[in-house]
Amino acid sequence: MAAYSLFTALVGFLVIAYVCAQTKKKEDSLGDKVHQLMEWNNKKSIIRLKGDKFRQYVKSPPRNYSVIVMLTALQPQRGCSVCKQANDEYQILANSWRYSQQYSNRLFFTLVDYDEAVDIFQSMKLNTAPVFMHFPAKGKPKKGDTLDINRVGFAAEQLAKWVGERTDIQVRVFRPPNYSGTVALALLFAMVGGLLYFKRNNLEFLYNKTSWGIVSLAIIFAMTSGQMWNHIRGPPVMHRNPNTGQMHYIHGSSQGQFIMETYIVMLLNTSVVVGFIMLNEAQNMKGDPGKKRILSLVGLGCVTIFFSLLLSVFRSKYQGYPYSFLFK
Amino acid sequence: MADTDLVVRQDIRSAMWNPGGWKSLLTFFILALAWLAGFSARLFAVIRFESIIHEFDPWFNYRATHYMVENGFYNFLNWFDDRAWYPLGRIVGGTVYPGLMVTSGSIHWFLNLLHIPVHIRDICVFLAPIFSGMTSMSVFLFTKEIWNPGAGLFAACFIAIVPGYISRSVAGSYDNEGIAIFALMFTYYLWIKAVKTGQVFWSICSALSYFYMVSAWGGYVFIINLVPLHVFVLLLMGRYSQRIYTSYTCFYIVGLVLSMQIPFVGFQPIRTSEHMAAAGVFALLNAYAFLRYIQNFLTKAEFRYFFIAAVTCAAAIVFVAVVGLTWAGYIAPWSGRFYSLWDTGYAKIHIPIIASVSEHQPTTWVSFFFDLHILVCAFPVGAWYCIKNVNDERVFVVLYAIFASYFAGVMVRLMLTLTPVVCVLAAIAFSKTFEVYLKDDSPKSSQKGGDENGDNKNDRLYDKVGNKKKIRDDKPKDDEGLGINVKSIIIVALLMMLMLFAVHCTWVTSSAYSSPSIVLASYGQGGSRTILDDFREAYYWLRQNTHDKARIMSWWDYGYQIAGMGNRTTLVDNNTWNNSHIALVGKAMSSNESAAYEIMRTLDVNYVLVIFGGVIGYSGDDINKFLWMVRIAEGEHPKDIREVDYFTPQGEFRVDSAGSKTLLNCLMYKLSYYRFGQLQLDFRSPAGFDRTRGVEIGNKNFDLTYLEEAYTTEHWLVRIYKVKDLENRKKLIHPHKPIIKSKRKSLRGGKKTGVIRNKSKVVKGRKPKAGSASSSRSSKSKK
Repeated sequence: MAAYSLFTALVGFLVIAYVCAQTKKKEDSLGDKVHQLMEWNNKKSIIRLKGDKFRQYVKSPPRNYSVIVMLTALQPQRGCSVCKQANDEYQILANSWRYSQQYSNRLFFTLVDYDEAVDIFQSMKLNTAPVFMHFPAKGKPKKGDTLDINRVGFAAEQLAKWVGERTDIQVRVFRPPNYSGTVALALLFAMVGGLLYFKRNNLEFLYNKTSWGIVSLAIIFAMTSGQMWNHIRGPPVMHRNPNTGQMHYIHGSSQGQFIMETYIVMLLNTSVVVGFIMLNEAQNMKGDPGKKRILSLVGLGCVTIFFSLLLSVFRSKYQGYPYSFLFK
Repeated sequence: MADTDLVVRQDIRSAMWNPGGWKSLLTFFILALAWLAGFSARLFAVIRFESIIHEFDPWFNYRATHYMVENGFYNFLNWFDDRAWYPLGRIVGGTVYPGLMVTSGSIHWFLNLLHIPVHIRDICVFLAPIFSGMTSMSVFLFTKEIWNPGAGLFAACFIAIVPGYISRSVAGSYDNEGIAIFALMFTYYLWIKAVKTGQVFWSICSALSYFYMVSAWGGYVFIINLVPLHVFVLLLMGRYSQRIYTSYTCFYIVGLVLSMQIPFVGFQPIRTSEHMAAAGVFALLNAYAFLRYIQNFLTKAEFRYFFIAAVTCAAAIVFVAVVGLTWAGYIAPWSGRFYSLWDTGYAKIHIPIIASVSEHQPTTWVSFFFDLHILVCAFPVGAWYCIKNVNDERVFVVLYAIFASYFAGVMVRLMLTLTPVVCVLAAIAFSKTFEVYLKDDSPKSSQKGGDENGDNKNDRLYDKVGNKKKIRDDKPKDDEGLGINVKSIIIVALLMMLMLFAVHCTWVTSSAYSSPSIVLASYGQGGSRTILDDFREAYYWLRQNTHDKARIMSWWDYGYQIAGMGNRTTLVDNNTWNNSHIALVGKAMSSNESAAYEIMRTLDVNYVLVIFGGVIGYSGDDINKFLWMVRIAEGEHPKDIREVDYFTPQGEFRVDSAGSKTLLNCLMYKLSYYRFGQLQLDFRSPAGFDRTRGVEIGNKNFDLTYLEEAYTTEHWLVRIYKVKDLENRKKLIHPHKPIIKSKRKSLRGGKKTGVIRNKSKVVKGRKPKAGSASSSRSSKSKK
């Protein structure tokens, strides 16, 4: 009887010791992992992971930190231009987090490249790149833990919003200021200033009405052909019909437009205006009346033909428009 | 006596044959016809439907005008409207531009003074068409100052019928823009006049006209930026003169003081960045004038030194002052809508409520062409010739064209400010061309040319464009003209294009801009017309059948209409001043029924009104607007509402069975589709087939717990629900207890008969109390 109780106690002790050791080991491993990750993170804001490390640090359970993984293909031979853009945005986000005030060991940004870890892609049954995934601190990734790139896009702000939704850590995206616009503007000013300086003895060209006229008309043409819409909405240049392979330059509905289409319209507008100016200048031209006549008729031709073309483009977009001029 | 008689007769004769007299008569007739044509072109809606106020904002303007006519101007200025923005209310007098109401109110007052009893509604309906005639007058005057009277007549005729302006001024569209465009063009005309003459009289006139514009429309900012810009560019071009100094200083000071008299504007002109350009140019102009004055007393070297020092000091002081005042909060930064004009991506990201309004979207080339037709191709020609033959006032019109086209490109709504200048410049282009080609330069065929002119006159009167007085004035010297054939061909071709323009304008007005949107019309196969009057039916139901103080919740689009036609209290309306309140309503619409009920209880909602177009295929209904409700709600309550939840995993917005669960159970969905699942519209489609979205709805059989259907209009377009009161006795719902447990309980309960817990048990033959127990014990011992 006594031997039995002794045995029980021994077993109990052993069990307790084992469990203790186990938890200690677990804690150790967790601490080690966090420590290791922090160390990597000090060197780089995005941690590159390969197969084993990915399994160890991201997939295996003892974690108290969230991991955002971008699965991508950055090798140049893959020719994935989207991946590059996504990578830039991701880099901005990771840097914003790395150098922010609330930077802690609760969130890590990592990257898995296809060519370094094909097995990961295979095990997760991924055949597209880039993919953004979130591995939460507890449990397995759920439905919302994969970012829907098609809908949300991968702008750093959108990524930050998604990260905030999934982890409750708000990352304030800090974009390194884009100096290219400023530099271009400064260059332009420098060029204009230089031009003025070199030509300081002869500033007559500033009084040249033709150049001012062309500049103003260019602005007007750009605006009336909807370039601002292009700038804000960013439509495609043109559309290829996937079934027939035919190119469409003109958007089918009156609500949208392609970039190519706006150039066509701008050209048509310009031609009508040039026609009008020819009509008016024909009279002032010196020379024999035959030339005048030709110029005025050419002007009229420009006005009528290009205007009817414009009208027919409009007709093709605006269903049910009843009028046409010269052409259908 | 005979002498004087002769003189008088000669006077009459000379007057009869005086070309100036015929010119004025012709001008008068053409302008009168333009007015008439413009007025009649705007009456489509009245003829097709009835004399009714259109759309959304006009309903508020009408209600405010009505209030002003009944209660007087001062009560109107102090009006606190407790029927809007429940429970906040709205101070109406201080948050509207009163110009519109005052204009129609004073017309009403004047007509009543003459004992012409006109209802205020009719004045409101016909105000915009009448003002369109005045707009064409002022455009005529403006163009006359810029170019010549002939171009002015063209411009007046263009503006009378151009769709870009008709879109905001059809009969019944009782809105600020209707009178504001007149005020805008008239102010510009007076300003040009002031610059030309340099008289204080004209600049004070333009300041007064500017005051009228400020009282009428928020677009006055366009004037107060364009006029200083004109002055600034004139300075840069070295065209400074005494005239400009006089006109601008008078205009700016008087205009500033007057504009601050409007309660809604208040101190904005000296505190917001939009108005700072005017102040800056005022300072600059004065500094420049001062330097010019100083120059008289100094030598060249001294002046140069003085000039550099002065400029540096002034620049430093201004910069420090502006930065300091902005930092201290005296100068407000740019307001959102104006900011979105410059940084075009700003609104999309930061202000969903601005992005949700279709008027704030950028403009495609199609809408330019749709609204301006041939003018959009012709007006750069006018700009070209204005630059080629530049003078002080043409600088103005070129600047106007460039900036207005930029703004019109950014926002569809600002097409309205572009339209007048397009008319002016296109008129210059056409007038110039016609002048060249109608000139009769072959002496042989002078008779023939005259006939042709006559023909053209008819054409052009029909076409409402025309000028030909200049033509006969100067005879050409060279006989080597272009020849009559070429000229006639060109004239006929241009006239045909102008006729096409007139036809286009009429078609656009009739088909696109003349629906009141309160009353819908649908056309059957035989051309028969059915009127769908569901909106007014529903609003009238509200007016008749609900309590006077009942609160109606709907999306903000319908706030003004409910207040105007139903005369009931609304939570949010088209004056979108309080984003968080709108977001709360959006949250209620996009939450599930019980969560929505809590919000509705806190907001004291009695009725909920939704617009549902699934039965008749009306695309502007609440389900199609629903994503904006979600977005606006998400902006304020990101924890509770997420846009992602309303999409399918593929990122589609679907109402059929594949749609997301959150969508299929939210309040808006349920209110729109309640009982719709049982409705079969025709034999080809299944029951519950939504015609607007072309799908069979996903959640068909459901009941409403907290609301009940109160009224649905004939074509189901408007559905009104009553919010139930709290129940007297709450049903017991145990949502957190697992179902199995309760089953077991019920089983146990089923076996046993009723049990009362903690019941004191009665044992027969004994007294149950403690005292009695001791006594019984004692009695035992006795035994």
